Amino acid sequence: MKFVDEYRDADLARTLGTQIASLADAQRHYKIMEVCGGHTHTIYKHGIEAHLPDNVELVHGPGCPVCVIPMGRVDDGIAIAKRPGVIFTCFGDMMRVPGGDGSLLDAKAEGADVRFVYSPLDALKIARENPDREVVFYAIGFETTAPSTALTLMRAKAEDIRNFSVMCNHVTIVPPLKALLESPDLRLDAFIGPGHVSTVVGCRPYEFIPADYGQPVVVAGFEPLDLLQSIYMIMRQLDEGRSEVENQYGRVVFYDGNTRALEILSEVFTLRPHFEWRGLGFISQSALGLSDDFAEWDAELRYDVPGVRVADPKACQCGEVLKGVIKPWECKVFGTACTPETPIGTCMVSSEGACAAYYNFGRFAKSTARAGA
Amino acid sequence: MNDPGPLPALDLGSYSAVCAVIDGCLTCGDVAVPVTVVEAGEPDAICADAHGTRGSVGVELVMPVQEGERLLVHGGVAISRLEESIDEVR
Repeated sequence: MKFVDEYRDADLARTLGTQIASLADAQRHYKIMEVCGGHTHTIYKHGIEAHLPDNVELVHGPGCPVCVIPMGRVDDGIAIAKRPGVIFTCFGDMMRVPGGDGSLLDAKAEGADVRFVYSPLDALKIARENPDREVVFYAIGFETTAPSTALTLMRAKAEDIRNFSVMCNHVTIVPPLKALLESPDLRLDAFIGPGHVSTVVGCRPYEFIPADYGQPVVVAGFEPLDLLQSIYMIMRQLDEGRSEVENQYGRVVFYDGNTRALEILSEVFTLRPHFEWRGLGFISQSALGLSDDFAEWDAELRYDVPGVRVADPKACQCGEVLKGVIKPWECKVFGTACTPETPIGTCMVSSEGACAAYYNFGRFAKSTARAGA
Repeated sequence: MNDPGPLPALDLGSYSAVCAVIDGCLTCGDVAVPVTVVEAGEPDAICADAHGTRGSVGVELVMPVQEGERLLVHGGVAISRLEESIDEVR
């Protein structure tokens, strides 16, 4: 398949693996965080770690937008979904995320009209087709997804569609990176920057990482060779004593991002003063709410929601997984009480969650490694 | 550019059903779908993915678009143009 097989060439992968190994100082242990859940998925699916020397460790970050949604926000969504006359729409992965008392899928089983959509534009279409119903879209995601919500709201406003509203849970990528860099739990050497977030925001927002923390950032694509090349570029920076923002994903990402998308984001959204991230706690100015111009389409203003903070289950260690402090298999309930079929934590729900990715693609390799140890 | 030819008129929404169990989350994560414009239009264009699946894509963020152009689509909206070259990884 054109432009797929080329990025999965085994010989090139082996060559990059050898080049990475040649740059690794045997006396040093390298910790590189991939921020994005899509990268985590690629790493496990394609066995990227098998190409790396033992002292180059990949640490999985908080870049799965499903995994970072706290339980209280799920409960707020369910409360809206259960209202009479409401059609509640969300992305597929969000359906199974457990709140304090069940998931949206449970609410659907109990009679709520919950539907999953591919795009917020599909939710708006449902609103057009059902003028006697209230259609709510549960928006999640980083800057990659926020533009599609913004465009949908602009169309709703232009067409004056009043039976549509958005419960906004969009988050931004830079504040959690700052929180991680300030975390005493974690010592990192470099970051693999998120590819598709960067198509929107560009590479400039990451410049503080080399400038203030002396760590390289390489924005990477999602194919196996993209990731291996990014790791090679990071290792080369570390070997040469450099720390810069580099862009491996030049076929999609421009250094200044998509300026039209950024304009639309600033028109439709405003930064929330603070927002709770699962596992990371409250982070100031890390999430988006609707601007005053779009207040009429804000589901949180239209409906009463509980707004109650719900603590994670005690057994769940999603927070430590999201911060990269522990690996998925080091969680007490991984693969036993918590599986993709019966998830306790969000990291096991979304296919981009580190636990689900590892459970689906990595557990056999790890169990083999353990048996051989 | 490959001519997509007569292709099944499926909805890109089928990704939702697939992504959660098979190949990453194409809806809400940092994952996007490369597509080819087969019918240019504004603010929506008809695009086809590598499997020939066609769907309507919002193109306001990358306008103007022309037939045959490659776009990266996330959540039903094109967020970037795609300029593929394997030279990057060689």
